[in-house]
Amino acid sequence: MILKIRKENHIKSFEITPEKSYINRRSLIKSLGILSANPFFSNAFAESNLPHQKPLDFIKNNQYSTTEPVNSFEDITTYNNYYEFGLDKTDPYRFMTKFKPLPWTITVTGEAENTGTFNYEDIIATNQLEERIYRLRCVEAWSMVIPWIGIPLLDIIKKLKPTSNAKYVAFETVYRPNEMPGQRRRNLDWPYIEGLTIEEATHPLSLLAVGLYGRELPNQNGAPLRLVIPWKYGFKSIKSIEKIHFQEKQPPTTWNLAAANEYGFYANVNPEVNHPRWSQARERRLGLGFFGAKQPTLMFNGYADAVGHLYSHLDLKKYF
Amino acid sequence: MRYGTRLIIFISLIPFIDLNLKAFEIYGGLGANPVETMIHTNGIWGLRILIATLMLGPFNRYSGLKFFKQLAKPLGLVALFYILNHFLSYAIIDQGGDLKIVIVDIIETPYLIVGWGGFLCLLSVGVVSFKSLQPWYKKNRSTISGIVYSSAVLGAWHYYWNTKTIETEALIYCLIVCVLVLWRVKVTQGKL
Repeated sequence: MILKIRKENHIKSFEITPEKSYINRRSLIKSLGILSANPFFSNAFAESNLPHQKPLDFIKNNQYSTTEPVNSFEDITTYNNYYEFGLDKTDPYRFMTKFKPLPWTITVTGEAENTGTFNYEDIIATNQLEERIYRLRCVEAWSMVIPWIGIPLLDIIKKLKPTSNAKYVAFETVYRPNEMPGQRRRNLDWPYIEGLTIEEATHPLSLLAVGLYGRELPNQNGAPLRLVIPWKYGFKSIKSIEKIHFQEKQPPTTWNLAAANEYGFYANVNPEVNHPRWSQARERRLGLGFFGAKQPTLMFNGYADAVGHLYSHLDLKKYF
Repeated sequence: MRYGTRLIIFISLIPFIDLNLKAFEIYGGLGANPVETMIHTNGIWGLRILIATLMLGPFNRYSGLKFFKQLAKPLGLVALFYILNHFLSYAIIDQGGDLKIVIVDIIETPYLIVGWGGFLCLLSVGVVSFKSLQPWYKKNRSTISGIVYSSAVLGAWHYYWNTKTIETEALIYCLIVCVLVLWRVKVTQGKL
């Protein structure tokens, strides 16, 4: 399996224009860097699931990107925890067809000078898009490497001019049960809410993602805008953001409301602090094939150098 | 074994065959996390078939159909087969066959202790079901029955305890198992 990875990844998949690759399906499999070639792609992954989102103009930012092998477009778009569309990993891509990400607006309220409503199109037009290749570590102990396209959240927040009272930033996902079948059941309290400290939100790594693999986000990945906070468990990277609120107090977060002893506010990736029901010491990196062994989880998902200083004063066992 | 029984046993093994055909990519696939899919599929079918086996109890008693009486043991063994694969997928594939890691993981994780308990119950019943142990088996039928019910309770609990939010399917299994256990207790007490 290791040999297979090395052989297929000498072509940097994200450097190939998606257009070129999707004409010939066979080379699509190779060029998208699918690490284990799989007829699943040809049966269940229908034509409509090939990348057809609008391509985006972006620059590469190698400073924050990992050089690890990137997971395939197929894996990234068919294995999602997005309970708004259903509880199974394959539910989001199967049941997202009714979801309409555009037109989209984000409403900003609270402790900031430039509150108001902003269009998705304006956000894209007035900000430089970057490609960031980040690790994403789910609290369930699996992970992927994803080539996101987005805007540093810091840039967005700077433009909104939060006041000195803004100690936290709260985010909210849409509530559209008619487009998101999972929201018709109360598995979680809808709409999904999340939050960050202002320091976390303005950290250079924090990304407002609008795309992946060079194109706009597929619905199942949180279209049209979502956060990617790579040093935290995936549930902090809230999807399909509709509202942003700057506030003084620590905001409630959906998973913490669902099970406070299991999901904390900070949710930093930490191999030394186990989930009450399973260990966080190791994780399964997807895409390594059937016998790909689990690997040790890194402190802050390997971003300790960049973010460790934010938490030097915090007891991470208590504030998980 | 009668042909009807053989047919039902074959049908109950279809999910296993389907899973392995996908694993070896004869058709379809196991998705982005194939190990997890394998562990989950083996486990969930083991639980379903175990529950179906226990449902034979009230079915036999109230329907008067003699046929299903001889289905209980083979079907129970199919359930054990699935659970054995469930455990082996976890121990060998997921944890790389490293016994130390497996033992530590189980000891540290409450829902794995429950699962292991359920597995041991079913395994012990499977072991004594051999022809050579038939007289012993026949004499201790109610103990064996009790152990199988315990296995189902532990299995349903193991599944429920592993879900992140309250999942309907997990709740349904817990409910059905509770009802079955209650029924069996009432029967033993002579009340039903």
